[in-house]
Amino acid sequence: MSGLSWARLAIVVIVGVVVQVAVLDQLVVLGAHPDLMVLLAAAAGLAGGPQSGAMVGFTTGLVADLFVDTPYGLSSLTFVLVGFAVGLLRSIPAGREVGSAQVAACIVAGAAGTLLYAVLGALAGQSGMLGHGTANAVLVVTIGSIVLAPIALACLRWVFSRGRSRAGYAVPSGGSATA
Amino acid sequence: MASTRRTSQRVTLLMLVLASVTVLTLDYRGEVSHGITHVRNAARDVLAPLQRGIAAALHPIGDLFAGAARYGSVQAQNQQLQTSIGDLRRKMSEYAAEQQQLRQIAALDKVPFVSNITMIDAEVLSAPTSNFRDTLELDRGTSSGVAVGEPVVGSNGLVGTVTSAGSSTATVQLITDTRSSVDIRLDADASGFGVVTGRGQGELLNLQLVSGSPYVKETVYTAGTVAAGAGAYPAGLPVGTVSSVHSSPGGFSNTATVTPLANLDSLQYVGVLLWLPSP
Repeated sequence: MSGLSWARLAIVVIVGVVVQVAVLDQLVVLGAHPDLMVLLAAAAGLAGGPQSGAMVGFTTGLVADLFVDTPYGLSSLTFVLVGFAVGLLRSIPAGREVGSAQVAACIVAGAAGTLLYAVLGALAGQSGMLGHGTANAVLVVTIGSIVLAPIALACLRWVFSRGRSRAGYAVPSGGSATA
Repeated sequence: MASTRRTSQRVTLLMLVLASVTVLTLDYRGEVSHGITHVRNAARDVLAPLQRGIAAALHPIGDLFAGAARYGSVQAQNQQLQTSIGDLRRKMSEYAAEQQQLRQIAALDKVPFVSNITMIDAEVLSAPTSNFRDTLELDRGTSSGVAVGEPVVGSNGLVGTVTSAGSSTATVQLITDTRSSVDIRLDADASGFGVVTGRGQGELLNLQLVSGSPYVKETVYTAGTVAAGAGAYPAGLPVGTVSSVHSSPGGFSNTATVTPLANLDSLQYVGVLLWLPSP
């Protein structure tokens, strides 16, 4: 968990939700819009590992849930699972193309997260979660993620960059390891 | 070392999943759900001014994306329009964007079908806020008299119903939302009654007839019956026009699809009717 700055996370989540609600929600194509919030959870998994991914996913989900009309907690549940699952990928050694592999993982996680959200919503007894609208939502989120995933990754690397060397190992830095 | 880390990872995952499920479960309980609604409304009130500014700037861009996605149908429609209303279009293009907005408000002011009910105008703040729900955010809330359950209309017909209201924002569930159901009567057939339900964003409405048989292009109006649960509307609001009729060979009941009269894809101003079903 070292390296996670809660202050920076708060900034990223708040700016993220403002961008989501005020900008991305307006870009409706095929009845769906891009989703930045699920990418923040996925990027947290990549930047901080499974545990951090789950925690950031939970926080992000609670905030995202304030602005949708599905049951409160549905996004948190989805994002916890997404953040954790993507975090497990981080331990798989990647070659030189780490950056683009992470972006690709983020995009796939965005699509999978959207599908998972629909399935969990249906399991929670919500009508109309699964249908051909779901396919459109997954498609639009995936396309949107191509643009948004690198941004989300950059933001979350910044969130996790406290007291970390470039290689991604925790380095104690002048007694300010906790934040 | 590695195994303890793996255990602590699993514990974290389990805790957070349980926390999410707990929150989710609490939202289904009356009192807590009420509190969550309050927090949600407050959060939406905070973001409303930002949304308003950015939405105004982004409306043209959003239209561009929507237009690109529906290129084929837009093109076909464009050809029809050019032949039939070419003259009208030339006149329209002369108006500035602000004048168009003004006209929308003016149109709402003299909506013919709500003469005896007080109506307040509201601007649409954002397109649907979830990929799985068909709702709109309005810039009016309880401070303007908006309350949960009030019907919302566009200048052509029924738009939906208010499902939550903060002090300066409100959420409207559109009639195309899968949770929406509206009791209707047919225009010509005095004994024709049915229920119109939503099939999702951008889809036609589903009409299940209780009695009577509709014809294509017939207008359906709200029946004014107060159904149990959500979705009570005053009688006589135009909902849509019948676009196709399917009668089952058994002949027990007819179903039909209905095109909403209100242009739900590009609403900028709507009217909230200060009308609630009498208990």
